[in-house]
Order: sequence, then C-alpha cells, then structure tokens
Amino acid sequence: MIRNRILSAVALTAGGVLMATGLSSCAAEAPADGPATITVLAHQQVRADAIKAEIPAFEAAMAKQGQKITVKLETDILTDAQFSTKITQQYNAGTAPDVVDMNSAGMSGYAGAGYLLPLDDYLAKWPGWESFFPITKAAAKAADGKTYALPHEMGVQSLFYRKDVLTKLGIDTSQPKTWDELIGRLQKISAATGGPAITLPAGTAWGGGSWAEGFGNIVAGTDGKFFDESTGKWDVKNEGVAASFDLFAKLTQDKLLPVQDLQNPNPWIATKYKGFVDGSIPVAGQGSWGWKYDWGPSGSAPIEDLTSKVSTWNFPALDASGSPYVTTAPGFSWAVTAKTKYADASVKFIQWMSSDEALANQLVAVGAVSPRSGLDSVAPYSNEPQLLEAEAQLTKAVTVPYADGVDQISMAVQKATEDILNGASGSEATSTFVKQATDLLGPTKVN
Amino acid sequence: MSTNSAGITLAGRLPRHKLKNRRNARLLLLMLGPSALLIGVFVVAPVIYAFYLSLTNTTLLGFEARNPKFIGLDNFKYLLGNGDFLSSLGKTGIFIALSAIIGQTALGMISALLLKNKWMRAKGIFGAAIVMPMVVPEVVASLAWASMLYSGPEGTVNMITHLFGMGAVAWLQQYALISIIVINIWRGIAFAMIMFQAALEDVPDELIEAARIDGASALQIFRVVTLPLIRGPVFLYLLLTAITTAGIFGLVYFLTQGGPGGDTQLVALFIFDRAFQFSQIGLGSAASVIMLVIVLILGLTYVRVAKVEV
Amino acid sequence: MTTVTKTDVKPSRASETATVRRKLRGTTVVSRALQYVLITALAVFCIIPFGWLIATSVDSQAGNILQWPTFTVDHYVKLVTEAGTLRLLRNSLIIAIGATVLTMLLGFIGGYALSRFRFRGRRFFMFFVLLIRVVPPTATIVPLYLMMTKMHLNNSLLGLILVEAAALLPLTLWQMKSAVDNVPLEIEEAAWVDGSSRVAAVIRIVFPVVGPTFGAAAMFAFVGAWGDFLTPLVLLQSQDLYPLSIGLFRAFSGFNQVDWGLLTATAIIYMLPPTILYMLVRKYLFKAGLSGAIKG
Repeated sequence: MIRNRILSAVALTAGGVLMATGLSSCAAEAPADGPATITVLAHQQVRADAIKAEIPAFEAAMAKQGQKITVKLETDILTDAQFSTKITQQYNAGTAPDVVDMNSAGMSGYAGAGYLLPLDDYLAKWPGWESFFPITKAAAKAADGKTYALPHEMGVQSLFYRKDVLTKLGIDTSQPKTWDELIGRLQKISAATGGPAITLPAGTAWGGGSWAEGFGNIVAGTDGKFFDESTGKWDVKNEGVAASFDLFAKLTQDKLLPVQDLQNPNPWIATKYKGFVDGSIPVAGQGSWGWKYDWGPSGSAPIEDLTSKVSTWNFPALDASGSPYVTTAPGFSWAVTAKTKYADASVKFIQWMSSDEALANQLVAVGAVSPRSGLDSVAPYSNEPQLLEAEAQLTKAVTVPYADGVDQISMAVQKATEDILNGASGSEATSTFVKQATDLLGPTKVN
Repeated sequence: MSTNSAGITLAGRLPRHKLKNRRNARLLLLMLGPSALLIGVFVVAPVIYAFYLSLTNTTLLGFEARNPKFIGLDNFKYLLGNGDFLSSLGKTGIFIALSAIIGQTALGMISALLLKNKWMRAKGIFGAAIVMPMVVPEVVASLAWASMLYSGPEGTVNMITHLFGMGAVAWLQQYALISIIVINIWRGIAFAMIMFQAALEDVPDELIEAARIDGASALQIFRVVTLPLIRGPVFLYLLLTAITTAGIFGLVYFLTQGGPGGDTQLVALFIFDRAFQFSQIGLGSAASVIMLVIVLILGLTYVRVAKVEV
Repeated sequence: MTTVTKTDVKPSRASETATVRRKLRGTTVVSRALQYVLITALAVFCIIPFGWLIATSVDSQAGNILQWPTFTVDHYVKLVTEAGTLRLLRNSLIIAIGATVLTMLLGFIGGYALSRFRFRGRRFFMFFVLLIRVVPPTATIVPLYLMMTKMHLNNSLLGLILVEAAALLPLTLWQMKSAVDNVPLEIEEAAWVDGSSRVAAVIRIVFPVVGPTFGAAAMFAFVGAWGDFLTPLVLLQSQDLYPLSIGLFRAFSGFNQVDWGLLTATAIIYMLPPTILYMLVRKYLFKAGLSGAIKG
C-alpha cells in the first residue's frame, strides 16, 4: 500500500504542475484620479526615444495636479508586419499595453474588432481637439463614424532626390511635369551609373509600404474614383489603377527600379539606406519623415549636410493633362486599449503629448508634419523649414485612400507589383490585382 | 483513454503482491493520466479545434472579429480555388520530393556506404562533419546560409561558382525555391545517413565480400546485394522524412519569409501568413486541416508498414 | 524500431556477378582515392556554412560575408555584458530545462506504466501516441494559439513549457516504455521479495538499467525545446520572454542595421549545447538504434 502511495504521490506532483496553470487575472476599473501606472508601447527607436524624453515632464505635471501617474515605456523594435502580428495577438489576448503608438493606417482593423477605446467623449470635452486640421480628424475616424485614435503627426509624401548627384551628372533638377519627362531623366541617370535610378516601394517584401508609400501615391494622382466614399466601394477596374500599374511595369522594364533589392527581405536597407545615401539610386518616393527618421543626423542612415544635398519634387502627373502633386500620409496615432484599467490616465497622457512643446519635440524627432494648427511658432518645430513647408502643402495635398478594406487593397497591390518585379506587364499585373482584390474584399466592397 | 478498472492487471503478479483491480486502475490513472492530459490538451484538442475553426470565419481584425460566424465549407471552397494555396501545396510537394526524397536519400546513402568501408580512416571526423547541420538549431542553420547565399560577388557560394566562370547570382531571389531545397538537403543528410547506417548493419559482410571476390563492381553490389536487403528501412525512412519535411517552417521563414513573391511559400508558411499576418484564423485553420489530413494519411501508412511491436 | 528480414541472395544473381572480370590492384587504389574525395566533398559541404559564423564571431570587421577575421573577442564580451542577450539565454534555459524535466518525469512514470500494466486500450494508446508524433506543429499552432489565449497561458514561459513538453512526450513515452521492457520483470520482483518497496525497486533496479536511454531521451527533449522557433514565435509577445531563437530572428530581420559580430557570437553560443550533447551521446546513438527519434 505504502509503495503505491509513494508512486501516486510522485504522479500527483507531476499532475500538480498542470493544475498550477489555471490562474487568470481580472481587470477592475480603477478610480479616475487615483494613482495609475500606464504602459506605452512603441516599436520604432526614434519614436520611442522621443516619447521617453517627454515622460518625466508629464509625470511632474500630473503630480502638480495632484495625481500620481507613472508611465512605463515598452520599446520593442519591430517591422510593421511583426508589430501588427504582435499587437493583434496582444489585443486579442487582452494583454496589450494601455497606450499604443501605431501607424494610423492599421488603426481601422483594430478599431473594428473592438480592441480600441472610442475617444469621442474625451475629445468633445477637450479644447485642444478644435485645433486639429480637418484632414487629420477625417483620417482618425473609423468606418463606424467613431474616433479611436489621436493622430500626433501627419506626413507629406513626394519625390526626394539627390541634388548634388544630379547636378554632377548634369541632369535637370527642375520639377518634372509628367512621368515621361522624369523617366527621360532617370534613363540618363541609369546610363551614367549603370544601375537603377529610383526607389518606389513595390512588391511583397516591403509589405504595406508598397501600397501606402508606393502605388498609392501614384494612383492618388490619377483623376479616377478608385474609392467611392458614397458607396464605400473600391473601383478596382478604374483606369487610373491600370495606368499606375503600367507605370510600374515601364520603370521595371527600363531597369529604373532596383528590382532585386526590392525583392530582398528588408528592401529599404539596400535602397533607401544604402542606394540613396551613397547616391547610387538618387531618387526616392518618400514622406517628409525622411528629413529626420531616415536620413537625419540620428536617423536610420544619416546623410551629412542633408538639406544641401537633398531636395524634393512633387510627384509628376501620369499624363500631360494633369499637374504635379504631393500626397498625405497619415503618420502615427495614439490608441488607447479598450480593456485598459486606466482609461482616464491614458487619455490624459495622449492629450498631454499633443500639447505644444511635447508635440513640437516629437515632430522634430521623427520629422513629421504637425497634425494641427498653431505649432509654426513653437520651437524646435519652428526651426525646421522643410517641415513647415510640408505643412503648408498639407491643405492642397491629395489623399491616398485608406478607407475600410485598405488592408486587402494593400495586399492585392503587393502581389500585383511583385508580379511586375518578376517581369509581368502592366495589364497582367492589373488583372492579378483585380482578381486578388475581388477575392480578398468580397463582392460587396468592389465595383 | 479508457481506464476502466475491469481488465487492468499488473504484469507478472506474484501472489503476495496481487493488487486489487480498483487500486490498480487508480494507480494507472495517476501514472499515465498527467501524460495523457498534457498530450490531450496541447496536441489533440488543438487538432479537434482546428476542424471546428476551419468551418468559421474567425478573424482577429475588423468588424467581423466581433462575432465569428459558422460558414460551412466556404473556407475549403476558397482554398481549393485559390492559386496561392494550390501553388503552396505544389511547392511543398516539390520541396519534399527534391530535398527529402531525392537529395537527402541519395547523399545520406552515399555517406552511409562510404563510412561503412573498413579501410577508411578518420570516419569519426567525416561523420561529425556530416552530423553538424542536423545538430544545430534551425535558426542557426538558416543564419549560416544567409551568408553563404549572399547576393553580392563576395557571397561564399558566388565565390565558389565564380571559380567556374559564373557571374554573381542573387540566390535567395532568383533561385529561392532551389536554394531552400539545397539547404534542406544539407540539413537532412545526417538523418538519412544514420537511418541507413543502422539498416546496413544488418547486411552481412560475407555477402558483400563474396560478391566482391566474384568481381562485382561497387554499384552492382549495391543494386543486387545491399539494396534488396534494406528496402524495408529505406521505405520507412522515406515516409518519415516526407512527414517531417512537410512541417518545416523556421528554416524557410527565417531566410525568405515565404518570398520573393511567394516563391518559397510552403503550406506551413501559408498557414502562418494567413492566420497571424492577416489574422484570418478560420482560413488558416482550414489550410491546417488540409495539411493534417495529408500528413495523417502518411503517418497511418507509416504506423501500418512499420509493424511496430507494442 | 524496425527489423530487416534477411533474404539470401539468389544464386542466379550471384552467378551473374561472377562473370565480371577481376579488378586490378591499381583500380582499387584509384577507387579508394575517389571515395575519399567524395566523402571529403560531402563533409566540406556540410561544415562550410559554419565557417562564416565562427570567423565573424571573432572578427572586429564583422560583416555578412566570409572573410579572414581580424581577431577580437569583443563580440563575446558584449554578449555576456549585455543584458539583452543574457536574458535570451536565460529564457532559453528556463524553457528547455523546464520542458525536459517535465517531459522526463511524466515520460518515465508513464513509460513504466505502459510497460508494466496490461489494460484495455493500451495498444490503441501506444499507436495513437505514435501517430500523434507525425502531427506537425505548424498544423496545430493556429488553434493552439487561440486556446492558450483563452486559458491565459499565452505569453508565458510556463505555457510554452507545457506546450513543448506535450509535443515531446509521445517520443519520450515510447522510448521509456521500450527501455523498461528490456528490464526483466523477474529482477524487479526479486527485489520485492527481498522486501524492497515497489518504488525502491524501480529506483534501485530499473532506473540504473534504463539510465542510458533516459539520458538520451532527456537529450532529445532538451534539444527539441531548445531549438524550437515556431511555438515561441506565436505564443510569446513580450520581448522579456523571448528565447534565443526569436532573439536571433529579430536581430537578423529587424528594421535597423544588423550587428553581425554580436549576432554570430550569439548563434555560436546558441548552437553549443545541442552540439556538445550530441557529441556526448553520439556513440550510444548509433548503437541504440534510436535514430528514428532524431527528427521531429
């Protein structure tokens, strides 16, 4: 008997290990002005550094108002794709941090699933919200009409080029009117360097950037009604879409795009961080954050003497009837997790981060354009002519559509442009896109 | 698992130690229960849950995430008409056939036969070298090949091919599928070799020696004498390697993440991509179910053919 | 696991080979030389990818190409002084050791029961467990992730240890059951007659005999949990919990420039435990015919 008991005891111990796992924690609502500890997640180093710098001032300001709020910054450096996988899992598991700094482009998916706290009530009571540009407010609205995110930056996208390199090659640096004109110059560059001449994100390796920073910029310049706001449908067979794919095919066939680099994992490294920096690929489609985030002194790949070496063109029109334009990029927003224990403290934090000085510091750190008015006299933002100039362009910038379904459109664009990189023609890519987009969006969201 | 008290006996009872049935049942439950529970919860239950999820449109993103619906066989209809999925099935087939069935088997057999030679010196060193790729974690294996296949002229493979007058090649872009096939052959030679070495031990040396004295060439000896004797283990190995190769994920994901353009998107990577990159849990589960069915058929064949003694 | 049925070579085949002309000694030398060339080529093919890892980990000019190193131990110094890498190592050890201990505890007790008890459904259970081994983790990872979330075991080392142990257990149960089978029950019974308790008999008589198999099975368990990539990739979201496999992947595929020296030094440290363990049990591995256990 005793023998068996001992044997049983050993087995029981083993079973006990299994039992010790059913523990779960329950979240309870904390009082609005009691002590609070909020966790903030950032997934890009520059942004994390900018946030970190503001935390002590925020905590001090709150202490002065009589509330103890501790902010814990969680920095996890991830690519966009890795970040979206991680944060989706955390939201779904209920383990997400209280505040997440995220690209506004991904916000609608999380909002739809109910992971984010609707901010409408808070914003209605907050005078600061008045000063936000209408274009920013529109960008922050989800498909259900509610606002789930507080944008803290805007971007303007255009073509960046290496003034020094082009001048040395004897190539015209005035604003090209049409793509034909620009392609002529790119061919001259390519003839001189023997390599590709322009970086436009395309293909699957660049992920969402192939849409938001690549194809989207081109299609936004076509007159077309790619997305119909009134019906909420995407016109995938739109002429502008086909013309944009033709352009990518032309750039690929003429060997003007760095096809192989674009197919590598992390394609931005070989193109933007190497080719543009050493001048071998001297033109790049790029957002205003390039001034800091990518090529600034503490950016990912600094270019010395940046402002004297680099300048921008507007995107040229696809045909002679159009005129050059810039596009908006929504940039990053603050989102508060729906299941947070400290909703009020979290909202206080993101509102404070949108106050004059805190906002100006962050904008300059990442090279973003202000999402609201009233910042052009606040240092250090006021000392950045490139950013102020971009802000001035914001009102006449064209918007790249990012309505519901944009994730699927983005996927279809990645696939279709990948085909082009692999040698497909523009019309082949267009039919791939139509098929993929219809497949992914379902018949109700496609015209 | 049935732990019905009736019919449970302790093997080899001595009269003094004859135990009551009920007590035996409880003891058995305590000894085997934790294992069964662990396997049940973390292996069997997910398999069953996969079948359930595959019939729903469960997603983690967008408005549909709030109330997943039962959609019957729609996911399967979608997958079987979806070019990406079908091509990932095809690529998995090619990957298994070329890397596991042909490459690993041929090179593993050659290694095993060469190392069986009595006259050969430094067998330990050769053996250890061949075993290395299998021993290291898959992440390290991938990392090592990232440098081997670097696209510039300074990449190791490019430097070797340069000796034969070839220009630099971006292996992981232009020949991505072939590259991962070569990497997987590299990783799997040792497994094949060890399996075949065990089998070859059962081939009597006298037979080989007799054939050699008769003047048979090495190839003839292998074809006529050796192969017929190890046919069984070789077939079992082929089944086993096909099964394990079907599940390979990390080795490929680390290097290419399925790219470029889905060229290396094996079924395992398709599942991961759909379920975790695009949050289409239902669809990813349906792809998992298709994979499971294929692998379980191979597995059942294996269990049957192996005639394992229990 | 498998037995080969020995069949005699048919006489007709034998006489067929007998007609082949005898070889000269010269050809034997050439043939042996060729075989040396072949096995050397195979061995070089197998180890050459490690050249870059080793060279770069001690190269102050570390890059992503194979080159003669300018010797330095800085990367290893950085590795042991940097909190990030040490945390990865610690997590890997917790996961692998935790899963191994749990697997071996349950596997030994369960294997003993499977060997010594006769009960209805035993054969079915054994076959079922064998079949489960073929289920690829990729096929269950999606539902497993959702289940772990619901059980609040997501993003926890304990949860990961349980999953790893469950994946390793089928093999361990088989290994330990077969090993106990090889211990004659009479010896054990003799110990009972001498007054030993059943547990004492297991510890004194059975365990020493199955020791080598136990060691090998523990090694397989450790190496399996140590090298896993997919499960932690999906089940862990906090970087505080990442093991080395995920840390290496993140460092390699991250947004920023790669620190090749630190990356390769970490990879070398990461591959050492399984390499050493394999070398320790290699002799035993070949003899015990456990080869079927290596993969998976």
